[in-house]
Amino acid sequence: MEFNFDLALRSMPLLLMGAVVTVKITALSVALGIVIGLFVGIARISSIRIIRILAAIYVDFLRGTPLLVQIFLIYFALPVVTGIHMDPFIAAIASCSINSGAYVAEIFRAGIQSIDEGQMEAGRSLGMTWAQTMRYIIVPQAFKRVIPPLGNEFIALLKDSSLVSVIGFEELTRRGQLVIARTYGSLEIWVCVALIYLAMTITISRFVAYLERRNKTVDNRD
Amino acid sequence: MIIEIKGLKKAFGDNEVLHGVDLSVKEKEVVVIIGPSGSGKSTLLRCINYLEKPTGGSVTVDGINLDSDANINKVREEVGMVFQRFNLFPHMTVLKNITLAPMKVKHIAQDEAEEMARKLLERVGLKDKIDAYPEQLSGGQQQRVAIARALAMKPKIMLFDEPTSALDPEMVKEVLNVMKALAEGGMTMVVVTHEMGFAREVGDRVLFVDDGMIVEQGTPDDVFNHPKESRTKTFLSQIL
Repeated sequence: MEFNFDLALRSMPLLLMGAVVTVKITALSVALGIVIGLFVGIARISSIRIIRILAAIYVDFLRGTPLLVQIFLIYFALPVVTGIHMDPFIAAIASCSINSGAYVAEIFRAGIQSIDEGQMEAGRSLGMTWAQTMRYIIVPQAFKRVIPPLGNEFIALLKDSSLVSVIGFEELTRRGQLVIARTYGSLEIWVCVALIYLAMTITISRFVAYLERRNKTVDNRD
Repeated sequence: MIIEIKGLKKAFGDNEVLHGVDLSVKEKEVVVIIGPSGSGKSTLLRCINYLEKPTGGSVTVDGINLDSDANINKVREEVGMVFQRFNLFPHMTVLKNITLAPMKVKHIAQDEAEEMARKLLERVGLKDKIDAYPEQLSGGQQQRVAIARALAMKPKIMLFDEPTSALDPEMVKEVLNVMKALAEGGMTMVVVTHEMGFAREVGDRVLFVDDGMIVEQGTPDDVFNHPKESRTKTFLSQIL
């Protein structure tokens, strides 16, 4: 069998439209995942036991079950309970960000715990509350330290977002399937899809490397 | 009495490190705590601003009994603390290190806080380091910034936890000079230190702490020149 370059080239615009959707899901899920992860990560080390337990359950459940099953739970099972039809886009964002939030929570927890205890003591002894010290002293320092693992998480999330194709949401992978259904060009299309994913993940990892370098030279005064 | 400690006990798990300490500190008094490592002197100091939670007895600071987190931030505004390892905020400039707490806790306007920071830095001799980051400073300079940072909250009491122990010898003096000036200015101070020269010269009262108890106390002359307890004598003979 021969690689049909013409087909690959003609299919590109459609696939790239799918890639734009993939970027959109990933970007939104990353943003929401950071917010969720930050709060859950802090909750994991809260001095209040019940908050700690709830956060641990969240993390365990979402890391201990497949994302694919979580997508089914949100898209198919949840409407059975609520009676409300789920929009695929909402379901996709929700499942990706809730899932990513659990991983990000662990990253933030480790980052926060890596900050010297003396920082919290210094903040508290100046009369700042625990929350103020977290916000102005601990989290900003932790954030810089967790840039590399966060980058890995986002690359993983970008790839995992292909799973939302199963609920018919037209991101890159789903687009690929649809194009193949019309053209039968399995080889060409899947190669193109893979290359587009690769281009996106390499871009992210380069960007993260840049952030890391910039932090080292400019303001990682640690 | 600005600090009133009664029957203070502190245990870490099964290990009790303070076995019932009584201590009163008058306003403007400079109390220096000396003693061997692991004697509980730092723990005693850290109980005064509730960084350590007592397991028994009571600590009253400026009329407020420290018994829960509820009132603790109020007390901490009035009690400055200087740490052995400085604990400056590495991601902030010297200026931000000093202005952060006054702005966030006391809601002082930025320009006012910055003006105060400038004056404090002048006082500790670091006016030209205002825009530096902590890592660009020597240990002695960092500790002086830490003192300025604590003073920015206008505390009534300053606690020093071995403030010169992490410094290279040539930098000890610049920090002690700042502390001496502070004492002369009438600040109430409780200082844990191994600097016996400072204790002698600046201390109004010296406490010798060993094995979680105040073994002996008195004027520097009493404790250094006429110690009564054998443990004090042994300790002094080892370090002097």
